[in-house]
Amino acid sequence: MARPVVELRGCTREYGALRAVDALDLAVLEGEFLSLLGPSGCGKTTTLNLIAGFVEPTAGRILIDGEDVTGRPPHLRGLGVVFQSYALFPHLTVFENVAFGLRERRVPAGAIAQRVKEALALVRLEGRERQRPAQLSGGMQQRVALARALVYRPRVLLLDEPLAALDKRLREEMRDELRAIQRAVGITTVFVTHDQAEALGLSDRIAVMQGGRIEQLGVPREIYERPATRFVADFIGASTMLRGRAASGELVTVTGGVALRVAVGRVLKVGAEVELAIRPERVRLATAPGDNVVEAEIDALVYQGAQTELTAKLADGQRVRVFVTEPAPIPLAPGQRVRLHLPADAFMVIG
Amino acid sequence: MRLRLAVLLLLAFMTLPTVVVIAVSFNPTAILSFPPAGFSWRWYVNVLTYPQFQRAAWNSLVVTGGAVLLALPIGTLAALALERARLRGRALWAAALLSPLVVPGVAAGLGFLILAAALGLLRSRIVLVVAHVALVLPFVVRSVWVSVRNLDPALERAAASLGASPRRIFFRVTLPLLRPGLFAALLFAVVVSVNEFVVSLFISNRVTEILPVAMFNYVVNYTDPTIAALSSLFIAATFLVIWLADRFLDLGRVFLQH
Amino acid sequence: MKLLLLPAIAVLAVFAAALTALFRWSLLEFIPGSLVPGGYTLDNFRAVLAPQYLHAVRDTVILAALTTVLTLLASYPVAYALARTPSRAVRSTLLVLTLAPFFTGAIVRTYAWVLVLGNTVMTWPIPMLFTERGVLVGLVHFSMPTMILILAAALSHIDPAYERAAASLGARPARVFWRVTLPLSMPGIVSGGLIVFAWTLSAFPTPELLGGGKVKMIANVVKDLGLDSFNWPGSAAFAMLALALTLALLAAAGRFTGSRPA
Repeated sequence: MARPVVELRGCTREYGALRAVDALDLAVLEGEFLSLLGPSGCGKTTTLNLIAGFVEPTAGRILIDGEDVTGRPPHLRGLGVVFQSYALFPHLTVFENVAFGLRERRVPAGAIAQRVKEALALVRLEGRERQRPAQLSGGMQQRVALARALVYRPRVLLLDEPLAALDKRLREEMRDELRAIQRAVGITTVFVTHDQAEALGLSDRIAVMQGGRIEQLGVPREIYERPATRFVADFIGASTMLRGRAASGELVTVTGGVALRVAVGRVLKVGAEVELAIRPERVRLATAPGDNVVEAEIDALVYQGAQTELTAKLADGQRVRVFVTEPAPIPLAPGQRVRLHLPADAFMVIG
Repeated sequence: MRLRLAVLLLLAFMTLPTVVVIAVSFNPTAILSFPPAGFSWRWYVNVLTYPQFQRAAWNSLVVTGGAVLLALPIGTLAALALERARLRGRALWAAALLSPLVVPGVAAGLGFLILAAALGLLRSRIVLVVAHVALVLPFVVRSVWVSVRNLDPALERAAASLGASPRRIFFRVTLPLLRPGLFAALLFAVVVSVNEFVVSLFISNRVTEILPVAMFNYVVNYTDPTIAALSSLFIAATFLVIWLADRFLDLGRVFLQH
Repeated sequence: MKLLLLPAIAVLAVFAAALTALFRWSLLEFIPGSLVPGGYTLDNFRAVLAPQYLHAVRDTVILAALTTVLTLLASYPVAYALARTPSRAVRSTLLVLTLAPFFTGAIVRTYAWVLVLGNTVMTWPIPMLFTERGVLVGLVHFSMPTMILILAAALSHIDPAYERAAASLGARPARVFWRVTLPLSMPGIVSGGLIVFAWTLSAFPTPELLGGGKVKMIANVVKDLGLDSFNWPGSAAFAMLALALTLALLAAAGRFTGSRPA
């Protein structure tokens, strides 16, 4: 049974009138890879800084392994941090950078050399001990930063958007490596990112944050397929939002008189206002009218290689986004009338 | 924290002399004592009525006024040229314009003295003004250059596209936008010129000497608190000027950027 | 556009003419009792090396070196506070207190020390006024604003992420300073040190008023020879010496700030 390694209880951090983190409760479980995901200003980096001890909460407590560390300075928390800018000491060699934490812990020189070697091997950067950070590429610097944070076997690894500075291909490469290393070492990890693809691909659990609060905490599949709030539905993946009123336990009338059957294991309250979201990749082009098939007119087409992103207008003006896998089953053009099938089990009921 | 204590002690060291000077200036008797034995304005009165100080103050006004009036336009034009003209060896030109900062005061002072003697200008204030322009120019150029660098050329092009002639553009667009740099330049120029001592010592005589030189000559000969009073006036004026400058300019940005 | 430089060039030309005159006269023969010089000679520079003047040069170098070291030690904490304080009010206060002496003028500042060191505030156990100790105090006080600004600029360019990284790796604040902050501020220390050293070599009002005739630095010799003895050639030679030393040191400082690690 996984137990919490890091706990935040009711943590609030204020900067004057601004509340960067608002009464946050979070428990990070042993060995898990937890991502804090959200847009700029949502409080994810502040949360990380609270765990690391770089800022103090204005209210609340922080516990590591059940011990209250609120107020304890960063150098006494036994954590490993990888910064967005890597913060590799420019005046020290790669070896000295990685050895830094070991030296602070008075590890004997012989052991230092051995452990630095192991750490560099773990991140696949052997042989560069004598070089300076300025001589390394971005990807290599990132690995050194990782080695430096891991070499002294900290309790928790904290990563602040470490892949943000890399180009797309390198980012994907490093993403896989990062996950592999984390699994190999088994270290509890908190990962801050604004990139949802990254979070979905790397994490055991994701905490989606906004306005200093956690909107939803869960495994990636749950976050994606059953977003709890409109914000999460909007932020993760693309969605079409449809507003309507429940006509029965499973029928929703959207404006325009069209009735959609919703089969997601929930009984709707009759007469209640309902917000439905559906992912573009679940909407299908239909050939004949039928259950949950709506008529629409193509408004815009964006060719994207593997798929075409289609925006179609319903009778009442609401727009539906559809991903059509190329090659498309029928030729598509702006202004064309099409039929769209919205499968009953593909809906996400918001709220 | 130990750092805070150290900083406070050092700040005390830095400000102690100022405090002592101001305190001594109010001493009723001619003895320099601290803390003062009473309170009296007499030394301030002495300062304001002493003929040599009055003459020196007038000289300071004339010399600094003349130097600033000349240095501001000359320096502004130079700053514009440095930033925008196609120059080979721009760094060298910049170094040349800033070079008077680097020359020791005694060397410049003696040099100007010799030059003035050769030109027969020893008794005139012209040498003083010219020397001050040269000494103040680097400050003006540097201050205005910062502003010029931050000036978006697109604004002047926009004015041109709207039909303004180069002259109009300069006075209606460029100069107003350079205001922060010009203000800083004016500030530096005045303060540097008013306080300039070493060079002025060499090239002035009793008739033409400016305030700092007059003060120096007084201190060497007399030991009453008159100079403390005059110094206090200087200090008060300086604090006022700096406080104003910080309010309008955010000195942190001016000084902590290289 | 380039023509806009002309007025400034004219001013510089006058300045250059003054320095040329200085250079020329350092090579002319001094005729005692007259302001008219003789022919070209190197005697003035030989006189610089004469014992009574050589020790002024030596004293100047020693005082400048001591001043630089003490100024560095005294300025670093203030510069650190100035660069790192999050509060704008504190930063403004520190900046005003640092800059004020800068703008108050040499005579005022030096006179203030004449008062403090001259038994006005307290009777010193050992004499301070008119001694090298006193001049040293005055020189350090004089140089602190410059050093503080240079160090503060260097420190403010150090990314705080480095200090946080060091802390996260287990270094307590004193260790963070020794292992990270201090080394990264070294270029500022060197260039600040060289600049203060160069300026102190040519210091005049401080030794003149606080030295009371007993402490002579190079600048005082220049004034004595030039304005008191009317030995313009001899004075010019010393002035050229001061100029040469200053230029050499500032050239060294320039090379250092040019090659700063990013």
